[in-house]
Amino acid sequence: MKTRFGVCAAGVLLLSAVAVFAHHAFQAEYDATKPVKVTGVVKKVEWTNPHIWFYVDVKEDSGKITTWGFSGGPPGMLMRRGITRDVLKPGDTVKVEGFRAKDGSNNASGGNVTFADGRKVFAGAAEDVVPQ
Amino acid sequence: MRKSSLSVLLWLDVFVIMTASAWGQAVPTRQSIPRTADGKPDFTGVWAGPGFTHRVGPNDTDTPRVSNFDPKNFAPFKAGGEALFMQKETGEVLHDDPTAKCLPDGFPREALAPYATQILQHPGVVIFLYEYMHFFRVVPTDGRPHPKDVEPTFMGDSVAHWEGDTLVIDTMGLREWTLDATTRPAIRYHSDALHVIERIQYTDPMTASYQITIDDPKIFTRAWSQDFGMKLHPSWKLYEQVCEENNRCEDGKCTAADAQK
Repeated sequence: MKTRFGVCAAGVLLLSAVAVFAHHAFQAEYDATKPVKVTGVVKKVEWTNPHIWFYVDVKEDSGKITTWGFSGGPPGMLMRRGITRDVLKPGDTVKVEGFRAKDGSNNASGGNVTFADGRKVFAGAAEDVVPQ
Repeated sequence: MRKSSLSVLLWLDVFVIMTASAWGQAVPTRQSIPRTADGKPDFTGVWAGPGFTHRVGPNDTDTPRVSNFDPKNFAPFKAGGEALFMQKETGEVLHDDPTAKCLPDGFPREALAPYATQILQHPGVVIFLYEYMHFFRVVPTDGRPHPKDVEPTFMGDSVAHWEGDTLVIDTMGLREWTLDATTRPAIRYHSDALHVIERIQYTDPMTASYQITIDDPKIFTRAWSQDFGMKLHPSWKLYEQVCEENNRCEDGKCTAADAQK
C-alpha cells in the first residue's frame, strides 16, 4: 500500500506540472500565492455544479471552531475520475490543501484531500492549481 | 463503495505515469473503423477531446487537463495584431475570464475544454454535443455554403465536407472573444474575422487526429495549425454541467455558505 501512495504522490506532482500552466476561473477566484492547509472535520458536502463545495470545521488553538469552505471539481469530472459523492462524507477527519479566495474569506480551492488513514485524493478541477 | 472508489482514483494516479497499453485491457474496443451507410467514417460516440491526456485507465477512465494553443505554432503577427491577440489584464473579470461569470467559452475554446464531447452522425449532418456549458454544433455535411450575412455568435456558423476519410469543418461568424484559456501573461483573444478549419480523421478504430487551423487575418500574417487527438470512450455518457447552479466565487468574491453562517 505504501508503494501505491508513493506513486499516487508522483502522479499528483505530474498533474501539477500541467495545471500550473493551465487556467480557468481559478485565477479569477483564488490567490495562488496564498496556500491554505487545514485539518478538521467535514461538516457538509454540496455535490453540485459547477464545482462541488465541502465545508470543514477547524478547531483553533483557542478552542474556537472556524468553518472553511472548499471548492472542488465539477461532479461529472470527479465521477469520470472515479471519485463519487460518497468518497467525502460529513464526519470524516481530513487535511485539505488549497488556495485562499481572493476576497480573503474562509473559502479556498480544495485541491488535495488527505484522510485520517493517509489516503489522499486530488478533488480539484482540471484547471485548478495543485498544492505542492 | 468508498473503498472501491478510492481504489479507482489511486489506480488513476498510477496510470498517469504509465502507458495506456499496460492498463487498457478492460476497455471495450473494436477492430475496424465504423462507417455509415454511405461509406463515410462514423464518428458517433462519446469522445475525450483535446482536454484529456488520452491515457485510458481501468473502467475507461481518462484524465482531464486544460489544453491551450502552443505559441510555437503561431504565425507571425500582423502590425498591431499582437495587441489584439495578447490583451492585458484589466481586473475586470468579464474581460479577463468571462467564463468565471458563466458566460460562454465559445468556439474554438469549447473544443479544448476538459469535458466530454458526444458526436452524432446522420446523413447530411454531424452534431457535436459539448458537455461543458451544454453547447452544441449542428454541422451540415451536404455541401451547402455558409449563409450570407451571418450574425456573429459565440459558436459561429459551421459547414463541413469530406476529403476522403477526413471530415473537414469550416467555421466563421465568430464574435471577438477569448481564443483559449490562457490568461498569463495576457488573455488571448481572437478577432471577429476568425475563420477556423477542423480536420478529423481516424488514426485507429478508437482514436482520431484532430487538427485545428486558426485563420485570423486581423491578427496573423497567415493561417496556422495545431494537432490534437481524440479518444473514444465507449462506456462514457455526458454529465450535466451547469455553471450557474452554485457558482459562488465569482470575481473572487466568495459568498458565505449556509454552513458558515
